[in-house]
Amino acid sequence: MLRQALILSSHREYAQTMRNELLKLDAKMLVNVETDGVRAMQLAPQQYDLILLDATLDLMDGLQLLQFIKNQSPATKFVVVSDASEEGARALAYQNGADFFIERPRTPESYDLALQAIQGLFKTGTVTGPLPSDVGAPPVSLVDILQMHCLSGDSILLMVKGSQHSGDIFIYRGEVFHAQYPGRGGENAFREMIRWDNGRVRIKTIKLTQAPPRTIETPYRQLLDAAGLAEDMTPQIEQQGGDLFVVASETTPSTAALAVINEAPPRDPPPPPASNIFFPDPALSPRGNTPLPRMNSHWRVTLTGELLEGSQVAEPDRCAFITTFIYRKMADVAVALEVDYFNEMTLLGPHLQQVLVADNLGVRHGVFDAPWTNETMRAQYVKWCCEQSL
Amino acid sequence: MNKAFEKIALIEGIIAAAFVADGGNLLGWCANSVISPENLAFIAQTCRSVLSASSAEQRAAHTGIVSFGNKTLVFRESEPGIFMAYLDSPVDEGVLRWLFGQVTPLLAEEGVKLE
Repeated sequence: MLRQALILSSHREYAQTMRNELLKLDAKMLVNVETDGVRAMQLAPQQYDLILLDATLDLMDGLQLLQFIKNQSPATKFVVVSDASEEGARALAYQNGADFFIERPRTPESYDLALQAIQGLFKTGTVTGPLPSDVGAPPVSLVDILQMHCLSGDSILLMVKGSQHSGDIFIYRGEVFHAQYPGRGGENAFREMIRWDNGRVRIKTIKLTQAPPRTIETPYRQLLDAAGLAEDMTPQIEQQGGDLFVVASETTPSTAALAVINEAPPRDPPPPPASNIFFPDPALSPRGNTPLPRMNSHWRVTLTGELLEGSQVAEPDRCAFITTFIYRKMADVAVALEVDYFNEMTLLGPHLQQVLVADNLGVRHGVFDAPWTNETMRAQYVKWCCEQSL
Repeated sequence: MNKAFEKIALIEGIIAAAFVADGGNLLGWCANSVISPENLAFIAQTCRSVLSASSAEQRAAHTGIVSFGNKTLVFRESEPGIFMAYLDSPVDEGVLRWLFGQVTPLLAEEGVKLE
């Protein structure tokens, strides 16, 4: 089903026309437009069912970008739009993961043809890429998938699609760390999600390379026990391509299977203790005249999520992750608002205040203790950031 | 809720505003531009996920101010849901107080406590 689409093109007029054409298919469809390839790299492509991208973007090779995004979101359908129907570009597009290649439509008739081709991708569920479509995938037992990944100690993102909702469950090192769907997060969201459609949903899996934010502390087995679902079914699991398809048995679970379920999960090495890792303190940087205000901690990441430097940074990986997470979420918001990405963000809390300052190269993230922080100090930090190289 | 948002739409500088309940329902919205209610709901939910993730990192936050050039997105989460406003101006603490000074009583009339 085509619910969300992204048009990635440097040609604004074409992008707007194509957006209008897509909306004719379904007025409820969410169609975003992005004109900057670098910024597009910051979007979460998994949210899109369809991405239409130009073979050539301003300052970027669209086909290379295709390969990059396809790796992040193999289930998304990609249509490459080219100004010329060159065989070389067509072959390279398919090689890099395109599902379809079209010449840029310029007439109403050619737009109609392009739309027919797009509809065909979603009607038939056939793809030319290496992975099967999720559109035709049968619903699977979410509990079985959860148990399998938790028992295996996996770090994985389960993108869950029910008939009425969709959401994400983050499993890290065999434990459920976080669950979310629009309107709900944490353990409450998890409890709801495992009951969607009587537990049979469509699932896509994506490997996690970093620890997600943790909102669920309860061990996964207790979570399932609490829901009374831990021993309901014996899974038969087969894997096709990158997606998992599980057919739950309707027979009584075998003793052997229960033994597996009841077996203690493999122990992961304990997480490293929180430490204060001191990077070169940017406060010592000679650039600018503005002194760094008194802060709790601060750090800088690149737009690809690499932590470059920081001060008083405990758990650097998590700091980099949360900054990148916020940046990407706000990138989604910027696209929805059709504006440039944010340059400043302030988060106010009862105990801490946070300031993020971003440009096209990176993000600085500062944390202040709320009781003795005021607007002047936050503004001073922004000014200091602007005097440094992001 | 519609009455409140009819008044919120008249607040100076407001481009769009919305309130999304805890369950994800868009309870009220207004827009002085072509921003669709679906987009507003998506934005509000995205802001909520940012607050949720920050809380998970032991940095609880209830209010966010995001500058997109000269435009600013403000959001505040409370028990019944999340309120967001998109403004055509920069926002400092004074503007923030002024904004919520106007919005809070309007929402309170509809039974929503934005504290």
